[in-house]
Amino acid sequence: MSSLDAVWHPTGSLGRAVVVAAVAVCGALLVGDPSLLVVAVPFVAIATLGLLHRPAMAPALSPTISVRLDHGMLHEGQGTTSRMTLTGADDAEYLTRASGRPPYVAMRPHHGQVGALLAGADGPAPLIEVSPRRWGRRILGEEKVALTTPWAGYRFGPVPLGGQQVRVLPATSAYDSRAEVPQPLGLVGAHRSRRPGGGTELAGIRPFLPGDRLRRVNWRVSLRTGDLHVVSTRAEEDSGVLLVVDALADHGASGGVDGASSSLDLAVRAAAAIAEHHVRSGDRVALRVVGRGRELVGFGTGARHLRRLHHTLAAVRPGELVGAPDAGVLQLGVTGGTVVILLSPMLAEATGTVAATLTRRGVPVLVVDTLPADVRPGVADGTDPAVAALAWRMRTLERSVVLQRLAALGCPVVPWRGPGTIDEVLRRLARRAELPRVAR
Amino acid sequence: MTELGELSRSQLVLRLVVLVGPVVAVLAGGPAGHWPPWWVIAVVVGLAGGFAAFPESPVGATAMLAVLVWWAAGLDDGLHPAVLVAAAALLVSHVAAVLASYGPGEMPVDPALVRLWVVRGALLLAPVPLVWGLALLLRGEPEEPGVWVVGVAAGLVVTVAAGVALTSEPRREEQ
Repeated sequence: MSSLDAVWHPTGSLGRAVVVAAVAVCGALLVGDPSLLVVAVPFVAIATLGLLHRPAMAPALSPTISVRLDHGMLHEGQGTTSRMTLTGADDAEYLTRASGRPPYVAMRPHHGQVGALLAGADGPAPLIEVSPRRWGRRILGEEKVALTTPWAGYRFGPVPLGGQQVRVLPATSAYDSRAEVPQPLGLVGAHRSRRPGGGTELAGIRPFLPGDRLRRVNWRVSLRTGDLHVVSTRAEEDSGVLLVVDALADHGASGGVDGASSSLDLAVRAAAAIAEHHVRSGDRVALRVVGRGRELVGFGTGARHLRRLHHTLAAVRPGELVGAPDAGVLQLGVTGGTVVILLSPMLAEATGTVAATLTRRGVPVLVVDTLPADVRPGVADGTDPAVAALAWRMRTLERSVVLQRLAALGCPVVPWRGPGTIDEVLRRLARRAELPRVAR
Repeated sequence: MTELGELSRSQLVLRLVVLVGPVVAVLAGGPAGHWPPWWVIAVVVGLAGGFAAFPESPVGATAMLAVLVWWAAGLDDGLHPAVLVAAAALLVSHVAAVLASYGPGEMPVDPALVRLWVVRGALLLAPVPLVWGLALLLRGEPEEPGVWVVGVAAGLVVTVAAGVALTSEPRREEQ
């Protein structure tokens, strides 16, 4: 806490009382009018009482104020408490806390502006409940604090207190999928593989071969045929899931976790939900953010990896790939056995191109369309609305052409609808993956 | 400055009281036989408006001084009972401004603080009729030299003594 206002100083109220009392008393004495003295009496009293409660002015005796949050990391929509520790405030009677109004942060009570009579020198200060309403980096707990002496004679502050940067993770929306991933290619996992192995899914019954386990012998078929037969199963493997988040721009207005969602809101929340689902299923999940930050998280599994993915998603900032030599061409570095889930409003040429290229290569690509239904383009001041509307219409027409071409190539495009959004298309991709095909 | 629309309801009420106080105080001269002309009312309303908008600013003191000047200059018999109304109106306006200045305009006023200041206001108002009655009693008496100064000094001593007695906790010594 360091501020020029971090000292006790007389209040305007005390000044007013002193001036009115002094002028009224002097006037009464000079003019000989007792009515002025009658008017002056309460002001004389209030000024005197205010001055009597003059606090200790020495800097060493100044109050010290610190604020801390109960939590350093939150999901959007969750809340924490901003607690104030106050020491050396013996002279203070009233404490006022006035928080700023950062975007996408809800506060209680009264938008973070609260005051209370102090119970004692180190008595409890009023609490402020803080709840970030949107993912991202937020400064929470930034506020101004003032202390007032009895009879409002002196005030300490308002002292500005810096806030605490909190990384707000995207809300983990309820998401589940029962669809299997198209091309499992790993060691162990939950997805049915095309190759035979020690899984539970029945692949067929075949004659016994040296090396087969005795517990796999099907005695019913063996007795009927006279030869030993065994049950063969398909291996169960994990899969690689590459989540690609298009952060080249944020379309639409964001109302936080309770309100309307922008395109980036949808992409980040959907990516967080899909990542959580696949990590919990034992799949390897990677993240690539296409945007200003170019965040990249390699393949991995486990709770720690999931936390890393959520942290990376919380740091996504929209913006073009400025200065990149290959700004128009995206290199995602996709390997075999990977499913690519592209979360994009599909308004940038590069995202459509990369989806088409990967689909042609035989990589299962699924596009989750994150463009809000009622989005309106943000235009610069002074732009003719008619021209802007026409340009937006042309852009959406181009977008629909891109989506149609992708669908024709076999790249499904689905809008994000929460649980089960990508089940059907994943099943179709899995069925198609089992068919023999030639990659072009 | 907080926009009018952003003021909390309790702050709006307080600002209204701040605005009305000086105007009532100056209009109280009417029943005493000296109605203020329209331009005096206009000046006081303007100053009181500034006082309501900026409760911590010197405009408040200016508004109250304007009322005092009117009472001192306009009335021959200053001990009309209307002076009690003027004193109460000015004090209520001052207390409302004090309450309004505890926090930003958007912040609702703490009910506990309002109760505390209502009690304090009542205590501050209590000696007003006593002084008025005393002045009324002494009006016909021959004036002793220095009686005014002695009276004011005695009042100050009583106030200081009462303040010291009311201070519940011992104050620290300055280093």
